[in-house]
Amino acid sequence: MSVIRVDLNKCIGCQRCYKICPMDVFRFDYVRQKSVIAYPESCQSCGQCYLNCPAHSLGFTDGVYQHPLNAGR
Amino acid sequence: MKKNEKNKNRMAPVTEELEIPKMQAPEKTFYSCDVLVIGCGWAGLNAAAAARKTGADVLVVDKGTPGYSGLSSFSSSHQWYDAEMGDDLQACLDEMVMANEYLANIGWYKKWAEHSKETYQRLMDWGLLTQYPTGAESGHWVDGDWRHDDLTGYHEEFLYADRRNRWAEVLRENDIPWVSQTMIYDVIEEEGKVVGAIGFHVPTATVIRFSAKAVVMCMGGGSIKPVGFPTSCDTFDSDWIGYQHGLPIVGKEFDDFHFSASFAPGNVLTCNSWTYLENIWLTGGDISQETLLGRAQGEAKNLILPRIESVTRGLADYARTDIQPASGRGKSRSGKFEDPRKGKWTSDLPKGDTYGAAVGMQLHLGCGIFCGIDDLEGKTALEGLWVAGDGCNGSCVSGGSYLAATGFTSNFCSTQGYIAGEAAGKFIQDQSRTEISSGVWDTYEHEILAPMKKEKGFRPSWACDQLHSIMSPGWVTVVKTEESLTHTLGLVKEFQKNVLPLLKAGDAHELRLCHEVEHKALCAEMKLRASLERKESRGYHYRADYPYRNDEYLCYFTITKDGEDMRFDRIELKDEWKGDLSEPYEKRYRTFRFPGEQQALNLPEDDTIPSSGWSPTKAFSISPEPEKGGQS
Repeated sequence: MSVIRVDLNKCIGCQRCYKICPMDVFRFDYVRQKSVIAYPESCQSCGQCYLNCPAHSLGFTDGVYQHPLNAGR
Repeated sequence: MKKNEKNKNRMAPVTEELEIPKMQAPEKTFYSCDVLVIGCGWAGLNAAAAARKTGADVLVVDKGTPGYSGLSSFSSSHQWYDAEMGDDLQACLDEMVMANEYLANIGWYKKWAEHSKETYQRLMDWGLLTQYPTGAESGHWVDGDWRHDDLTGYHEEFLYADRRNRWAEVLRENDIPWVSQTMIYDVIEEEGKVVGAIGFHVPTATVIRFSAKAVVMCMGGGSIKPVGFPTSCDTFDSDWIGYQHGLPIVGKEFDDFHFSASFAPGNVLTCNSWTYLENIWLTGGDISQETLLGRAQGEAKNLILPRIESVTRGLADYARTDIQPASGRGKSRSGKFEDPRKGKWTSDLPKGDTYGAAVGMQLHLGCGIFCGIDDLEGKTALEGLWVAGDGCNGSCVSGGSYLAATGFTSNFCSTQGYIAGEAAGKFIQDQSRTEISSGVWDTYEHEILAPMKKEKGFRPSWACDQLHSIMSPGWVTVVKTEESLTHTLGLVKEFQKNVLPLLKAGDAHELRLCHEVEHKALCAEMKLRASLERKESRGYHYRADYPYRNDEYLCYFTITKDGEDMRFDRIELKDEWKGDLSEPYEKRYRTFRFPGEQQALNLPEDDTIPSSGWSPTKAFSISPEPEKGGQS
């Protein structure tokens, strides 16, 4: 589970996702003025980027992904 | 037709990512200040403001961006002590002592009660506690089903009140500069005194140096890896730093209590969405002599006992997809209509039914660097270094259970941060800056960048998964035995020996992860050793082979680096924190019964005391009659 790209065309290059992600998931392409989901494996699914993306360029996957690892092992 | 197809293609959403670009390194790589505050959550923001108010030249450095990093951005409630609103200090103290299993640091609690209202008012003035309509009251709340609710619409409508946006403004208003996206690797000690710190800009692995007359660490705690709780950016950095400098680490045996939801266990936004999106709820007004025992029993029934059962009953029970009904919506717990302390979670939530939302995370306010039994300002044994906040300052204010009251942590961290920052600000007034030699800087720089210079090695994300697998089972962190802990400690030692020296950072992002995994591995070892040391059950520490409280363990255990070994020290508690030791066991421990406790001590049956129906002897091959505790 992680942040996903809904539409890169919608990205307005505000850098909010790059700046506020606590997990260093994003990079920013200064030439193209677009954010880059660079390290989705580090996403902890907190949703701060998704909620704060003013252009709705980012999305968020939800639903069932795996067994609750910590409980039944 | 062809043209339409072409247009359609052009309008199709682009979901592929661009190549990972090389980021621009920061131009400024050296900073000099009076007080350096590391980490900017509740504790850090308040520490910085207090130090600045003394006239000190303050600089804040944060691993992410102030307001959005660490756990502070997910706080859901806020409580303060308010005598004018009818709070009963004696009842609060009685609850702290009894409900926290006689391990609460009452000195810090009294200090908090003295200052917490000022803290609340300060945060109100800063605009961090602004109240706005709940999800249930807003038009964005469609039907109470998380799959249908308009999360982004709700967030956008109330963006003006989002406290995370205010964080940078508060820093600006207080004339405090900050450095973002910079992980501090270590503080620099010269002749027994802290004189600065060194770290690196995370996106570019650029080493940044800080010279300071005093340092306040407000870096939070850690988790091995989160499954449903937003803690992974908290990685025990302060525990690691404190340990390297010979400072004692306390409280590792007590585990965090947060639950996740079984239908999307790893989805933090879903499992904690409304606690993130809605108000920071004002709480309190619910502790009195009449309610304190019931509150403590209720918390045990809702958190401590289900946690133990949830890891022992198997996966078959984990299939709940319902939404938890809101409780206490729109009315305060004190019962007074005008009371603004409405309590938390007034919108419906996904049900938290799975333990282990943050493996390895310590109990709130019960773990971190220990400053001494008499400390009331976060001053460490290392001159010039203060610690504050959850996971960083091991004040143990809420003992072994964190049954203080909902909303305690955000206010307590803010209060403790302010006190520590003020003390650091006063300290630097007669201090001169120490020049740090280039040799010292260079040695640290070499250490920081070492994982990037390896030609071959293990990826840190893989290593983190291995550690998570070792530490996440319920028999390691929840239902512990001598055997399970000893076995797991062996696995952690193998991990440390075989993996840590070979961690390789392929890029700047992985450099951060390499250092974080090392911190996690150290804390995993401390957690297991501390759990072995406490041969009893108490609060959030349950030993199936010692399933009862034993008052010989009315102490804190601290862990200190002693050469290559971990040294354990026993810190005696003050007598007035221990409650009435002459009371019979059944009366002294009337909050709840651990599985197996009643049988082990031949206690009379009493249905009014919450207990679990699960018996440890069914699942673990331990003696049906464990060794008796030292109860008198």
